[in-house]
Amino acid sequence: MKFKKKIKSRVKEFREELGLTQQELANRVGVSRQTIYYLEKGNYNPSLTLSFKIAEILNKPLIETFYRVPIIKDKIESLSFKKLKEISKKVGISYNKLGSITEMNEKELSEAFDEEILRKIANLLELDFNELFIN
Amino acid sequence: MSQNSYEGTISKKYRNKEIIKTSIGSLIYIIPMLITFLLLLFLLKHENFEEALILTIILLVTTTLLPILIILIISYLYETAYINNFSYSFSKENIVINHGVFTKTRATIPYSRIQNINIVNGVFDRMYDLYTVKIETAGSAAAAQAAQGGGFVRPEGYIPGLKEPDIIEKKINEMVTQYAGVPSGLEDKIFKPEELAFDNFISYIMSKMRTGEKLETKITQLRQKANLSQEKLAEEVGVPIQTIEYLEEGRYNPSLFLAYKIADALNCEIEELFKMR
Repeated sequence: MKFKKKIKSRVKEFREELGLTQQELANRVGVSRQTIYYLEKGNYNPSLTLSFKIAEILNKPLIETFYRVPIIKDKIESLSFKKLKEISKKVGISYNKLGSITEMNEKELSEAFDEEILRKIANLLELDFNELFIN
Repeated sequence: MSQNSYEGTISKKYRNKEIIKTSIGSLIYIIPMLITFLLLLFLLKHENFEEALILTIILLVTTTLLPILIILIISYLYETAYINNFSYSFSKENIVINHGVFTKTRATIPYSRIQNINIVNGVFDRMYDLYTVKIETAGSAAAAQAAQGGGFVRPEGYIPGLKEPDIIEKKINEMVTQYAGVPSGLEDKIFKPEELAFDNFISYIMSKMRTGEKLETKITQLRQKANLSQEKLAEEVGVPIQTIEYLEEGRYNPSLFLAYKIADALNCEIEELFKMR
Protein backbone atom coordinates (compact mmCIF):
# COMPACT_ATOMS: atom_id res chain seq x y z
CA MET A 1 0.00 0.00 0.00
CA LYS A 2 1.36 3.37 -1.06
CA PHE A 3 0.20 6.82 -0.13
CA LYS A 4 -1.11 9.09 -2.84
CA LYS A 5 0.63 12.40 -2.68
CA LYS A 6 0.06 15.94 -3.70
CA ILE A 7 2.52 18.68 -4.50
CA LYS A 8 2.70 21.60 -2.14
CA SER A 9 4.81 24.63 -2.74
CA ARG A 10 6.84 26.91 -0.55
CA VAL A 11 7.12 29.49 -3.33
CA LYS A 12 5.32 32.11 -1.27
CA GLU A 13 7.55 31.64 1.73
CA PHE A 14 10.75 31.74 -0.29
CA ARG A 15 9.57 34.65 -2.39
CA GLU A 16 8.81 36.69 0.70
CA GLU A 17 12.20 35.83 2.13
CA LEU A 18 13.72 37.50 -0.90
CA GLY A 19 11.32 40.41 -0.59
CA LEU A 20 9.85 39.89 -4.04
CA THR A 21 6.24 40.54 -5.02
CA GLN A 22 4.28 38.03 -7.10
CA GLN A 23 4.58 40.37 -10.07
CA GLU A 24 8.35 40.73 -9.71
CA LEU A 25 8.83 36.98 -9.50
CA ALA A 26 6.51 36.49 -12.48
CA ASN A 27 8.55 38.97 -14.52
CA ARG A 28 11.80 37.26 -13.70
CA VAL A 29 10.45 33.82 -14.57
CA GLY A 30 8.65 35.12 -17.63
CA VAL A 31 5.14 34.02 -16.76
CA SER A 32 1.94 35.82 -15.78
CA ARG A 33 1.25 36.82 -12.20
CA GLN A 34 -1.71 34.43 -12.15
CA THR A 35 0.63 31.52 -12.72
CA ILE A 36 2.59 32.47 -9.61
CA TYR A 37 -0.68 32.95 -7.74
CA TYR A 38 -1.88 29.45 -8.60
CA LEU A 39 1.53 27.99 -7.87
CA GLU A 40 1.49 29.47 -4.40
CA LYS A 41 -1.95 28.06 -3.82
CA GLY A 42 -0.42 24.69 -4.54
CA ASN A 43 -3.14 23.32 -6.74
CA TYR A 44 -1.25 23.83 -9.96
CA ASN A 45 0.94 21.23 -11.55
CA PRO A 46 3.67 23.26 -13.24
CA SER A 47 5.94 22.03 -15.99
CA LEU A 48 9.34 20.83 -14.95
CA THR A 49 11.22 23.62 -16.69
CA LEU A 50 9.05 26.23 -15.00
CA SER A 51 9.68 24.57 -11.65
CA PHE A 52 13.42 24.57 -12.26
CA LYS A 53 13.39 28.22 -13.26
CA ILE A 54 11.48 29.25 -10.17
CA ALA A 55 13.66 27.21 -7.86
CA GLU A 56 16.72 28.75 -9.47
CA ILE A 57 15.44 32.30 -9.07
CA LEU A 58 14.46 31.63 -5.48
CA ASN A 59 17.88 30.08 -4.96
CA LYS A 60 16.47 26.92 -3.38
CA PRO A 61 16.58 23.24 -4.36
CA LEU A 62 13.67 22.10 -6.49
CA ILE A 63 12.53 19.46 -4.03
CA GLU A 64 12.30 22.04 -1.28
CA THR A 65 10.44 24.56 -3.35
CA PHE A 66 7.94 21.95 -4.49
CA TYR A 67 7.62 19.12 -2.04
CA ARG A 68 5.15 16.29 -1.84
CA VAL A 69 3.04 15.23 1.07
CA PRO A 70 0.69 12.27 1.39
CA ILE A 71 -2.83 13.59 0.84
CA ILE A 72 -3.97 12.16 4.15
CA LYS A 73 -1.31 14.13 6.00
CA ASP A 74 -2.30 17.31 4.26
CA LYS A 75 -5.94 16.71 5.12
CA ILE A 76 -5.22 16.10 8.78
CA GLU A 77 -3.14 19.27 8.93
CA SER A 78 -6.01 21.33 7.63
CA LEU A 79 -8.49 20.06 10.23
CA SER A 80 -9.66 22.06 13.18
CA PHE A 81 -8.89 21.01 16.71
CA LYS A 82 -12.51 20.07 17.27
CA LYS A 83 -12.79 17.90 14.17
CA LEU A 84 -9.52 16.19 15.01
CA LYS A 85 -10.80 15.30 18.47
CA GLU A 86 -14.03 13.99 17.00
CA ILE A 87 -12.20 11.76 14.52
CA SER A 88 -9.74 10.39 17.06
CA LYS A 89 -12.65 9.50 19.31
CA LYS A 90 -14.55 7.71 16.55
CA VAL A 91 -11.52 5.80 15.30
CA GLY A 92 -10.53 4.86 18.82
CA ILE A 93 -7.00 6.20 18.89
CA SER A 94 -5.64 9.00 21.04
CA TYR A 95 -5.79 12.57 19.88
CA ASN A 96 -2.01 12.88 20.13
CA LYS A 97 -1.47 9.86 17.96
CA LEU A 98 -3.75 11.20 15.26
CA GLY A 99 -2.07 14.59 15.43
CA SER A 100 1.35 12.99 15.14
CA ILE A 101 0.49 12.06 11.54
CA THR A 102 1.51 15.57 10.55
CA GLU A 103 5.04 14.98 11.79
CA MET A 104 5.61 11.59 10.26
CA ASN A 105 7.18 10.72 6.97
CA GLU A 106 5.64 8.16 4.69
CA LYS A 107 7.50 5.18 6.11
CA GLU A 108 6.72 6.01 9.71
CA LEU A 109 3.16 6.60 8.75
CA SER A 110 2.65 3.16 7.27
CA GLU A 111 4.36 1.56 10.26
CA ALA A 112 2.39 3.47 12.86
CA PHE A 113 -1.06 2.85 11.43
CA ASP A 114 -2.52 -0.30 10.02
CA GLU A 115 -4.70 -0.30 6.96
CA GLU A 116 -7.93 -0.71 8.85
CA ILE A 117 -7.40 2.45 10.89
CA LEU A 118 -6.36 4.42 7.83
CA ARG A 119 -9.48 3.22 6.09
CA LYS A 120 -11.58 4.42 9.01
CA ILE A 121 -9.89 7.81 9.02
CA ALA A 122 -10.40 8.17 5.28
CA ASN A 123 -14.03 7.31 5.78
CA LEU A 124 -14.48 9.95 8.46
CA LEU A 125 -12.76 12.51 6.26
CA GLU A 126 -15.38 11.62 3.65
CA LEU A 127 -12.68 10.56 1.24
CA ASP A 128 -12.55 7.55 -0.95
CA PHE A 129 -9.83 5.11 0.03
CA ASN A 130 -8.51 5.23 -3.53
CA GLU A 131 -8.10 8.97 -3.28
CA LEU A 132 -5.57 8.48 -0.54
CA PHE A 133 -3.80 5.23 -1.34
CA ILE A 134 -2.50 3.18 -4.19
CA ASN A 135 -3.07 -0.48 -3.54
CA MET B 1 -7.54 29.36 9.39
CA SER B 2 -9.56 30.86 12.17
CA GLN B 3 -12.75 28.87 12.11
CA ASN B 4 -14.22 26.20 9.94
CA SER B 5 -17.74 27.49 9.80
CA TYR B 6 -19.52 30.71 10.61
CA GLU B 7 -23.19 31.36 10.88
CA GLY B 8 -25.53 34.12 11.86
CA THR B 9 -28.91 35.78 11.68
CA ILE B 10 -30.04 39.27 10.78
CA SER B 11 -30.68 42.19 13.13
CA LYS B 12 -34.15 42.83 14.58
CA LYS B 13 -33.81 46.44 13.45
CA TYR B 14 -34.33 45.23 9.92
CA ARG B 15 -38.06 45.03 10.71
CA ASN B 16 -38.26 48.68 11.76
CA LYS B 17 -36.47 49.66 8.61
CA GLU B 18 -38.86 47.73 6.39
CA ILE B 19 -41.90 49.22 8.21
CA ILE B 20 -40.61 52.74 7.76
CA LYS B 21 -40.11 51.99 4.09
CA THR B 22 -43.68 50.75 3.82
CA SER B 23 -45.07 53.75 5.71
CA ILE B 24 -43.30 56.19 3.45
CA GLY B 25 -44.68 54.30 0.47
CA SER B 26 -48.12 54.68 1.98
CA LEU B 27 -47.72 58.44 2.44
CA ILE B 28 -47.50 58.77 -1.32
CA TYR B 29 -50.92 57.14 -1.39
CA ILE B 30 -52.43 59.14 1.52
CA ILE B 31 -51.53 62.62 0.33
CA PRO B 32 -53.26 62.56 -3.08
CA MET B 33 -56.30 60.93 -1.48
CA LEU B 34 -56.47 63.65 1.16
CA ILE B 35 -56.21 66.38 -1.46
CA THR B 36 -58.89 64.73 -3.61
CA PHE B 37 -61.36 64.51 -0.73
CA LEU B 38 -60.72 68.10 0.39
CA LEU B 39 -61.18 69.36 -3.15
CA LEU B 40 -64.44 67.43 -3.44
CA LEU B 41 -65.58 68.88 -0.14
CA PHE B 42 -65.08 72.46 -1.24
CA LEU B 43 -66.03 72.13 -4.87
CA LEU B 44 -69.38 70.47 -4.25
CA LYS B 45 -70.39 73.21 -1.75
CA HIS B 46 -72.76 71.00 0.16
CA GLU B 47 -75.63 72.73 1.97
CA ASN B 48 -74.84 71.03 5.22
CA PHE B 49 -71.10 71.53 5.55
CA GLU B 50 -70.72 69.56 8.80
CA GLU B 51 -72.45 66.51 7.39
CA ALA B 52 -70.24 66.63 4.35
CA LEU B 53 -67.14 66.94 6.50
CA ILE B 54 -68.05 63.85 8.51
CA LEU B 55 -68.77 61.93 5.32
CA THR B 56 -65.38 62.94 3.93
CA ILE B 57 -63.60 61.84 7.07
CA ILE B 58 -65.39 58.47 7.05
CA LEU B 59 -64.47 57.98 3.42
CA LEU B 60 -60.89 58.91 4.12
CA VAL B 61 -60.65 56.42 6.97
CA THR B 62 -62.32 53.51 5.20
CA THR B 63 -60.63 53.89 1.82
CA THR B 64 -57.19 55.09 2.88
CA LEU B 65 -56.18 54.90 6.51
CA LEU B 66 -57.71 51.51 7.30
CA PRO B 67 -56.08 49.68 4.37
CA ILE B 68 -52.77 51.29 5.22
CA LEU B 69 -53.08 50.23 8.84
CA ILE B 70 -53.79 46.69 7.72
CA ILE B 71 -50.82 46.79 5.38
CA LEU B 72 -48.58 47.97 8.21
CA ILE B 73 -49.79 45.20 10.53
CA ILE B 74 -49.27 42.57 7.88
CA SER B 75 -45.88 44.04 7.11
CA TYR B 76 -44.95 43.90 10.80
CA LEU B 77 -45.94 40.26 11.06
CA TYR B 78 -44.29 39.39 7.78
CA GLU B 79 -40.99 41.04 8.61
CA THR B 80 -40.94 39.43 12.05
CA ALA B 81 -41.37 36.04 10.43
CA TYR B 82 -38.77 36.94 7.80
CA ILE B 83 -36.20 37.76 10.45
CA ASN B 84 -36.96 34.61 12.38
CA ASN B 85 -36.67 32.45 9.30
CA PHE B 86 -33.54 34.04 7.94
CA SER B 87 -30.25 32.38 8.64
CA TYR B 88 -26.96 32.03 6.84
CA SER B 89 -23.92 29.90 7.36
CA PHE B 90 -20.53 29.49 5.78
CA SER B 91 -19.46 25.92 5.39
CA LYS B 92 -16.28 24.64 3.87
CA GLU B 93 -17.41 24.86 0.27
CA ASN B 94 -20.67 26.77 0.25
CA ILE B 95 -22.57 29.65 1.67
CA VAL B 96 -26.00 28.44 2.73
CA ILE B 97 -28.78 30.99 3.09
CA ASN B 98 -32.19 29.98 4.44
CA HIS B 99 -34.92 32.51 3.85
CA GLY B 100 -38.57 32.93 3.01
CA VAL B 101 -41.80 33.26 4.93
CA PHE B 102 -44.38 31.41 2.85
CA THR B 103 -42.06 29.74 0.39
CA LYS B 104 -38.97 28.64 2.22
CA THR B 105 -35.81 28.65 0.20
CA ARG B 106 -32.46 27.21 1.00
CA ALA B 107 -29.86 28.72 -1.29
CA THR B 108 -26.47 27.09 -1.53
CA ILE B 109 -23.77 29.14 -3.20
CA PRO B 110 -20.40 27.49 -3.87
CA TYR B 111 -17.47 29.81 -3.27
CA SER B 112 -16.10 29.03 -6.70
CA ARG B 113 -19.14 30.69 -8.28
CA ILE B 114 -18.89 33.97 -6.42
CA GLN B 115 -18.24 36.86 -8.76
CA ASN B 116 -18.31 39.85 -6.47
CA ILE B 117 -19.60 41.01 -3.12
CA ASN B 118 -21.47 44.29 -2.72
CA ILE B 119 -22.07 45.91 0.62
CA VAL B 120 -25.04 48.25 0.36
CA ASN B 121 -25.84 50.96 2.89
CA GLY B 122 -28.97 52.76 1.73
CA VAL B 123 -30.82 55.76 3.18
CA PHE B 124 -33.03 53.63 5.40
CA ASP B 125 -30.12 51.39 6.27
CA ARG B 126 -28.23 54.39 7.58
CA MET B 127 -31.10 55.31 9.90
CA TYR B 128 -30.60 52.03 11.70
CA ASP B 129 -26.92 51.54 11.01
CA LEU B 130 -27.57 48.42 8.94
CA TYR B 131 -25.91 46.95 5.87
CA THR B 132 -27.01 44.62 3.12
CA VAL B 133 -24.55 42.15 1.65
CA LYS B 134 -25.21 41.09 -1.93
CA ILE B 135 -23.27 38.15 -3.27
CA GLU B 136 -23.30 37.99 -7.04
CA THR B 137 -22.61 34.73 -8.78
CA ALA B 138 -21.44 34.07 -12.29
CA GLY B 139 -24.19 33.44 -14.80
CA SER B 140 -26.96 33.36 -12.24
CA ALA B 141 -30.62 33.43 -13.18
CA ALA B 142 -30.81 36.82 -11.53
CA ALA B 143 -28.06 38.22 -13.69
CA ALA B 144 -29.69 36.84 -16.84
CA GLN B 145 -33.02 38.35 -15.89
CA ALA B 146 -31.49 41.71 -15.12
CA ALA B 147 -29.76 41.69 -18.49
CA GLN B 148 -33.11 41.22 -20.22
CA GLY B 149 -34.44 44.27 -18.43
CA GLY B 150 -36.25 42.30 -15.79
CA GLY B 151 -36.11 45.20 -13.37
CA PHE B 152 -35.27 44.72 -9.74
CA VAL B 153 -33.99 41.24 -9.11
CA ARG B 154 -32.38 40.14 -5.91
CA PRO B 155 -29.07 38.39 -6.36
CA GLU B 156 -28.77 34.77 -5.25
CA GLY B 157 -26.89 35.69 -2.14
CA TYR B 158 -28.85 38.40 -0.39
CA ILE B 159 -28.26 39.03 3.30
CA PRO B 160 -30.04 42.13 4.60
CA GLY B 161 -30.02 43.83 7.99
CA LEU B 162 -26.44 43.24 9.02
CA LYS B 163 -24.69 45.14 11.79
CA GLU B 164 -21.14 44.23 10.83
CA PRO B 165 -20.86 43.38 7.14
CA ASP B 166 -17.06 43.49 7.20
CA ILE B 167 -16.88 40.22 9.10
CA ILE B 168 -18.92 38.52 6.40
CA GLU B 169 -16.97 40.08 3.58
CA LYS B 170 -13.72 39.02 5.17
CA LYS B 171 -15.02 35.52 5.74
CA ILE B 172 -16.19 35.16 2.14
CA ASN B 173 -12.92 36.49 0.76
CA GLU B 174 -10.98 34.14 2.98
CA MET B 175 -13.03 31.18 1.81
CA VAL B 176 -12.96 32.22 -1.84
CA THR B 177 -9.19 32.44 -1.94
CA GLN B 178 -8.83 29.28 0.05
CA TYR B 179 -11.09 26.99 -1.87
CA ALA B 180 -11.58 28.46 -5.30
CA GLY B 181 -8.08 29.17 -6.48
CA VAL B 182 -8.35 27.56 -9.86
CA PRO B 183 -11.66 27.58 -11.72
CA SER B 184 -12.81 23.98 -11.76
CA GLY B 185 -12.51 22.32 -15.11
CA LEU B 186 -9.74 24.60 -16.23
CA GLU B 187 -7.41 23.01 -13.75
CA ASP B 188 -7.91 19.57 -15.22
CA LYS B 189 -7.48 20.79 -18.78
CA ILE B 190 -4.31 22.73 -18.30
CA PHE B 191 -2.56 21.44 -15.27
CA LYS B 192 -2.88 17.70 -15.44
CA PRO B 193 -1.42 16.67 -18.76
CA GLU B 194 -1.01 13.07 -17.71
CA GLU B 195 -4.76 12.73 -17.55
CA LEU B 196 -5.51 14.11 -21.00
CA ALA B 197 -6.98 12.05 -23.80
CA PHE B 198 -4.38 10.74 -26.17
CA ASP B 199 -4.95 13.13 -29.08
CA ASN B 200 -4.96 16.08 -26.74
CA PHE B 201 -1.90 14.64 -25.20
CA ILE B 202 -0.01 14.63 -28.49
CA SER B 203 -0.88 18.24 -29.20
CA TYR B 204 0.17 19.02 -25.67
CA ILE B 205 3.51 17.38 -26.33
CA MET B 206 3.93 19.36 -29.56
CA SER B 207 3.32 22.60 -27.72
CA LYS B 208 5.79 21.61 -25.05
CA MET B 209 8.55 20.58 -27.42
CA ARG B 210 9.89 24.06 -27.81
CA THR B 211 10.37 24.55 -24.10
CA GLY B 212 11.54 20.97 -23.77
CA GLU B 213 14.68 21.74 -25.71
CA LYS B 214 16.26 23.30 -22.70
CA LEU B 215 15.90 20.16 -20.61
CA GLU B 216 18.70 17.65 -20.30
CA THR B 217 17.80 14.20 -19.09
CA LYS B 218 19.49 11.10 -17.82
CA ILE B 219 16.31 9.11 -17.84
CA THR B 220 17.62 6.50 -20.29
CA GLN B 221 20.71 5.71 -18.21
CA LEU B 222 18.81 5.64 -14.96
CA ARG B 223 16.09 3.48 -16.46
CA GLN B 224 18.63 0.95 -17.70
CA LYS B 225 20.37 1.04 -14.34
CA ALA B 226 17.07 0.24 -12.67
CA ASN B 227 16.60 -2.56 -15.19
CA LEU B 228 13.31 -1.30 -16.56
CA SER B 229 12.11 -1.32 -20.13
CA GLN B 230 10.35 1.71 -21.61
CA GLU B 231 7.06 -0.20 -21.46
CA LYS B 232 7.53 -1.16 -17.87
CA LEU B 233 8.38 2.38 -16.81
CA ALA B 234 5.42 3.80 -18.73
CA GLU B 235 3.16 1.32 -17.02
CA GLU B 236 4.53 2.08 -13.59
CA VAL B 237 4.15 5.81 -14.03
CA GLY B 238 0.81 5.44 -15.77
CA VAL B 239 1.51 7.23 -19.05
CA PRO B 240 1.56 6.14 -22.71
CA ILE B 241 4.89 4.72 -23.85
CA GLN B 242 5.28 7.61 -26.29
CA THR B 243 5.66 9.95 -23.35
CA ILE B 244 8.67 8.02 -22.16
CA GLU B 245 10.13 7.97 -25.67
CA TYR B 246 9.74 11.71 -26.03
CA LEU B 247 11.15 12.25 -22.58
CA GLU B 248 14.22 10.19 -23.33
CA GLU B 249 14.79 12.14 -26.51
CA GLY B 250 14.68 15.25 -24.37
CA ARG B 251 11.89 16.67 -26.49
CA TYR B 252 9.19 16.82 -23.87
CA ASN B 253 8.88 19.04 -20.84
CA PRO B 254 7.00 16.93 -18.30
CA SER B 255 4.85 18.30 -15.53
CA LEU B 256 6.39 18.43 -12.09
CA PHE B 257 3.99 15.75 -10.93
CA LEU B 258 5.04 13.37 -13.68
CA ALA B 259 8.71 14.11 -13.00
CA TYR B 260 8.17 13.19 -9.37
CA LYS B 261 6.46 9.96 -10.37
CA ILE B 262 9.30 8.97 -12.66
CA ALA B 263 11.86 9.81 -10.00
CA ASP B 264 9.91 7.57 -7.64
CA ALA B 265 9.80 4.72 -10.13
CA LEU B 266 13.52 4.97 -10.81
CA ASN B 267 14.29 5.50 -7.15
CA CYS B 268 16.21 8.72 -7.59
CA GLU B 269 15.86 12.46 -7.17
CA ILE B 270 14.38 14.72 -9.82
CA GLU B 271 17.57 16.73 -9.99
CA GLU B 272 19.54 13.62 -10.93
CA LEU B 273 17.04 12.90 -13.68
CA PHE B 274 16.65 16.27 -15.30
CA LYS B 275 18.84 19.30 -15.63
CA MET B 276 18.23 22.68 -17.13
CA ARG B 277 20.68 23.33 -19.89
